[in-house]
Amino acid sequence: MFDSSILLSLIGLPLFGIILLFFIPDNNPDLQKNVGLSTSLLTFLLSILLWLKFDMSTPKYQFVEKFFSVPYSNMHIYLGVDGISLFFVLLTTFLIPICLLASWDSIKVYIREYSIAFLFLEAVLICVFTVLDVLFFYIFFEAVLIPMFLIIGIWGSRERKIRAAYQFFVYTLVGSVLMLLAIMYIYYTTGTTDIQVLQTITFDYNTQLVLWLAFFASLAVKVPMVPSHIWLPEAHSEAPTAGSVILAGVLLKMGGYGFLRFSIPMFPDASIYFTPLVYTLSVIAVIYTSLTTLRQVDMKRIIAYSSVAHMGFVTIGMFTLNIQGIEGSMLLMLSHGVVSSALFLCVGVVYDRHKTRIIKYYSGLTVKMPLFSIVFLFFILANMGFPGTSSFVSEFLVLVGAFKSNVFVTTLATTGVIWGAGYSIWLYNRVAFGNIRTSHITSFQDLDRREAMVFLPCIILVLLMGVYPEIFLNAMHVSITHLVEQVQ
Amino acid sequence: MDFLTFFDNDFKILMPELYLFTATLILLSYGVLYSTSRMLDYPIIQLNVGWLSIFSLTITLFLYLGTPVTTMSAFNDMLIIDSFSSFMKILIVISSIVCCLMSLTYLENKKVNSFEYFILILLATIGMLCLVSTNDLLGLYMSIELMSLSFYILAAYKRNSEFSGEAGLKYFILGAFSSGLLLFGMSLIYGFTGLTNFEELSKLLTCINAMSDSVSYNGILVGLLFVTVSLLFKVAAAPFHMWSPDVYEGAPTPVTAFFSIVPKMAIFALLIRIFYSTFYDFLGFWQPIFLYTGILSMIVGSLGALYQKKIKRLMAYSGIANVGYMLIGLAAGTVESMSGLVLYLLIYVVMTTGFFSFILGTITEKDSKLNIYISDLDNLGKVNPALAFAVTFIIFSMVGLPPFAGFFGKFYLFLAAMQSELYTAAIIGVLSSVVAAFYYIRIIKLMFFGTSPIYTTYKPMDTANALVLSASVFFLIFFFAYPHPFLMCIHKASLSLML
Repeated sequence: MFDSSILLSLIGLPLFGIILLFFIPDNNPDLQKNVGLSTSLLTFLLSILLWLKFDMSTPKYQFVEKFFSVPYSNMHIYLGVDGISLFFVLLTTFLIPICLLASWDSIKVYIREYSIAFLFLEAVLICVFTVLDVLFFYIFFEAVLIPMFLIIGIWGSRERKIRAAYQFFVYTLVGSVLMLLAIMYIYYTTGTTDIQVLQTITFDYNTQLVLWLAFFASLAVKVPMVPSHIWLPEAHSEAPTAGSVILAGVLLKMGGYGFLRFSIPMFPDASIYFTPLVYTLSVIAVIYTSLTTLRQVDMKRIIAYSSVAHMGFVTIGMFTLNIQGIEGSMLLMLSHGVVSSALFLCVGVVYDRHKTRIIKYYSGLTVKMPLFSIVFLFFILANMGFPGTSSFVSEFLVLVGAFKSNVFVTTLATTGVIWGAGYSIWLYNRVAFGNIRTSHITSFQDLDRREAMVFLPCIILVLLMGVYPEIFLNAMHVSITHLVEQVQ
Repeated sequence: MDFLTFFDNDFKILMPELYLFTATLILLSYGVLYSTSRMLDYPIIQLNVGWLSIFSLTITLFLYLGTPVTTMSAFNDMLIIDSFSSFMKILIVISSIVCCLMSLTYLENKKVNSFEYFILILLATIGMLCLVSTNDLLGLYMSIELMSLSFYILAAYKRNSEFSGEAGLKYFILGAFSSGLLLFGMSLIYGFTGLTNFEELSKLLTCINAMSDSVSYNGILVGLLFVTVSLLFKVAAAPFHMWSPDVYEGAPTPVTAFFSIVPKMAIFALLIRIFYSTFYDFLGFWQPIFLYTGILSMIVGSLGALYQKKIKRLMAYSGIANVGYMLIGLAAGTVESMSGLVLYLLIYVVMTTGFFSFILGTITEKDSKLNIYISDLDNLGKVNPALAFAVTFIIFSMVGLPPFAGFFGKFYLFLAAMQSELYTAAIIGVLSSVVAAFYYIRIIKLMFFGTSPIYTTYKPMDTANALVLSASVFFLIFFFAYPHPFLMCIHKASLSLML
């Protein structure tokens, strides 16, 4: 029944949930939360259906359907998934119910608007990853700013949320408008904005260089790459828990998706030309941000900086332009989406109880919160790249791919694994081990059932990806092979 | 020629303008007779005249909607009616209706008890309608003067406020100065060509670039420069923008709304007609003028608004920035740029209408005042969430964020600019719109992010303002989904002018 229009249903379900939410009065906050959560769970089930029906043997776009047509300009907008976008859609629909469940008790004002913002965000994110048109990718890319800005500003923690919201908004906007100019140039020189057509067109060398740089300006802010990464620690630490989860989980991956879908296939010569630039910035990101983490006192900021480091690995993997590297970066994006989100959820658990994220107030949590400490340890090890978790598999693939391309970069990036271990273990040591410190905090409570349910799917997913990644890599193989062939 | 030949064709062609003019005169005499009538104890017939003027504007609108879709000229080629002018006239009449609707509550609350306000708005509208369809330099001057004189008086309308008088005086002096420049330029053009009619001028000036060795046309260029500068004064483009913040701040708020919305449309329609149809061959001359003025306006408008504390001054600077974008569209010189310009005008008008209806509709409960300072808007998200969300949509559209209508306006405009290879202007344009985003989202911050402990409660919004606000928000949100009718009309209008 859903076969022919599964993507439209995926986008329409959250919007339907928004309409439902408008009719629920404010004296019934439980119903509001329930409706939001059920809608997002239904969307997740629908996307599992998408995965099951996905044909893994072809690199062509599947489930293609017409979104709408613009009159007088011969633009027909299609939606479709291939091996690359499938997993981003799945990641989005997986994380949104977790976000909504995680903010069950901590959001006390404007509950309905919160669920509406997240459902709207989900709909727009699915549009970003499935639309087969450059202009509409840009439109939805920018439209993500609106709910995120409101989420950070309205429900964020008190101190620096306004500065964080501004920085997030303006940084992303500056980069994006340069991408808009590049898209306009593409539109009027080629007469189309359809991705399927554009991937067959070759631009001349100098044009490619300029267009690649314009796209890079926007995607580099989003990924984020040093030096335009400054908005990330601010936005992550000031956003509410669920906001950080979706920010780290999916929004950073929009940049990676942009690279894989646009920069590399449409401008292959420019990608090869600028590979040293990307490598340099990524390696700087890995080493610099890992070392910066050592100075931080705010737990969320540590995890935010580690996100930048992981995304540095991702960009190294993508620009190796061989199959192992790109598969590694895709898997790393998925793994980081789950691991970073889970780490933010862990910090969120502690923040909900004691309203502070500063490390100095916590020590020896293992004594009173053993279940939480186990979960926290698991995700810290996953963050480090411990074998058996998904990060290990993906980082290994990235390094193998990078080794084929450039040995020096690989060496420097591998040291990043050591720095990663350094700050992760140190964070965990200070917070969970040691003597319990009761000078500031006197009452402790371990995870309750809701929070355990939030972590359980993340743990399962990380173990699954670490032990048997073939399930996920299977669907990607053909699309990524096709991508690499396009570059050659 | 017999006077009666007027009734052959011209009367039918000019029926809507004639109707509006007659209605204005009748309303004027009605107002004078009844408001000075001692027998009826000097009644205050302001709202009465207001609704009657809205009524007559609506009938004029229907008369325009029934115009046949051909090109006609009246008064011995002095006025021309084609699809472009019909489209712009419909837009102008709709905007005037909306401005009248918005001002009713204000006039009632502030007890401005003279009915001439609406007569002046009707006269200004007639001036603008004639301006859009003028085909002759003299017609241009007469229409601009009719429009401007009404504006000068409207700016000074609040007689017990020095602020308003100062605004009117500044506007009058600057406006008279620019009209003088206009006359000088027109007389130079007449002196060097012997023609005042636009169509005959365009026929004379065909292929003038090819004849540049044998024909010296510098005199015409000087005249054209004066005319251009004068029109740029009237539309408040930088570096001729100095009067705009002061006049916008001092004039009563519904008059400010009228200033920001309607004259820009009329003067840009005129600019399109002059430069795309008459003087198109001088493209190499006027393109740099509009390009640099546009870039300067965008920069001045975006940077100037960052420090403003008052809402009306903020809107003045944002108007200057928007005029900058429109001038870039004008500079590009292609059919697509003209369509983009008209589309952007339409969307700009809707955004500004929505914003001003919000300002005019929020009256504080405590002392029945309008909001003057931007910081008066804080915590609106908690006090009146529906209103705050409506304003948020308007503001996101002004920033140019997809998927609202403002993005599409800017997109078409910059697309046309890139097609004409005005790359610098496009880059500066998008960067200045990012700078502009800063002060727009500051308003959202004030409304939602709860930084101030002051909460002001407002009276419920009156019907007229609420309808205007909701109509404009509806347009801005759903333009993305169904732009077909507007794009179709704009395409037809542009093609009818260029071909």
